[in-house]
Amino acid sequence: METYSLKVMAVDKTFFDGHCASLIIPSLDGLVGILAHHENMVIAVKEGEIRITLEDGSEIEALVGIGFFEIMNNRATLLVQTVERPEEIDVARAREAEERAMEHLRQKQSLREYYHTQAALSRAMSRLKTASKHK
Amino acid sequence: MASIKEIQVRKKSIQDTMKITNAMYMISSSKLKKAKKNLEATEPYFYTLQNTMSQILRHIPDMKNIYFDQHEEKDPEEKRIGYIVITADKGLVGAYNHNILKLAEEQLQSCAKPVLFVLGEVGRQYFKRKKIDIEEEFQYTVQNPTLGRARKIAENVLEMYREGRLDEVYIIYTKMASFMQAEAETVKLLPLKKSDFYINPLVDMRMEELAMKPDACTVVNHIAADYFVGFVYGALVESFCSEQNSRMMAMEAAVDNAEEMLWELDIMYNRARQAVITQQITEVISGAKAQKKKKLS
Repeated sequence: METYSLKVMAVDKTFFDGHCASLIIPSLDGLVGILAHHENMVIAVKEGEIRITLEDGSEIEALVGIGFFEIMNNRATLLVQTVERPEEIDVARAREAEERAMEHLRQKQSLREYYHTQAALSRAMSRLKTASKHK
Repeated sequence: MASIKEIQVRKKSIQDTMKITNAMYMISSSKLKKAKKNLEATEPYFYTLQNTMSQILRHIPDMKNIYFDQHEEKDPEEKRIGYIVITADKGLVGAYNHNILKLAEEQLQSCAKPVLFVLGEVGRQYFKRKKIDIEEEFQYTVQNPTLGRARKIAENVLEMYREGRLDEVYIIYTKMASFMQAEAETVKLLPLKKSDFYINPLVDMRMEELAMKPDACTVVNHIAADYFVGFVYGALVESFCSEQNSRMMAMEAAVDNAEEMLWELDIMYNRARQAVITQQITEVISGAKAQKKKKLS
């Protein structure tokens, strides 16, 4: 399988730097798979799971926060705010965050607070979803 | 010559100050270690973010979007410009705060309607003393930067920008230029300006079309906000590291100076002590001589 170079970076670490055969990312309107020689493109990424398939067929799964993906001349960069392996997810913390966000949503709040809570809730929910899948 | 007592008091006070500076040196050096680790982890992201962003902006098709709107119709005098200024929470950091505030002052001169978002207690006090208005609700610490705090800061500023209460946003922070060198820097965050990134058009002459998914406008909205958060976080980390670095160096210099002063005072003290002893001996001898003379006569 043809490969392309990929960098996955979060604010606090470089998660992946190397060649891969394919990558699946959660875009705003659904999952997108990227193969080698993809058209030059910028994709907005929302929180969810990514799946990197290496040349030998092995797969790496991870949970990412919001960010964006860029592929240009067969070189791809995925820049996200957070990236975690499924086994690294702190379920208790995510559940707490989810409850807190739900509670906040029930109260009256300004538009900014609303967006803030909404973002926090979707982060927590995507963590919980990924974690439960990998139990 | 100062009296022995005076020299001793002075020595004591220097020693006490030295204890403080020495403790601060140790604290900041251990904090620096942590901050450096943080910085090393963040730096690749921070630089890739800037590079990728410039690459994307170079290839992006023309569009009408709030993040690109340069507000050219507005008189430069009328523009409301937001500055995010990152200072330290306390002094004793050498020139760190001074450099940032000097840069901020320079920027303020050229701008009629500034809106200041000041991070760090030193900066807040400084602008209050100068009677320059700052955003009061903007109370964040600069210690141990986290992504959550960067998000909140970004949300605050972005909201004002979207509502049209700000026309431009700059960030003034300190960058670790090299291992030991910190540098204050101003960066324009909003609006995104395509021509800013036209530094060297010869290198990349072909203007490739860059597809956007789902569509150009959504993508720009999404990544502009993300870029903002990422940049604020990166700037916070860089600043925190620079702060600890300058504090460590300032405290090191202070301890060195104190040691030198103590050494000089030691010599002075010994001289004074010797002078007193000499004087006492002279007194005893002259007393004894006088007694002898008395007996003889």
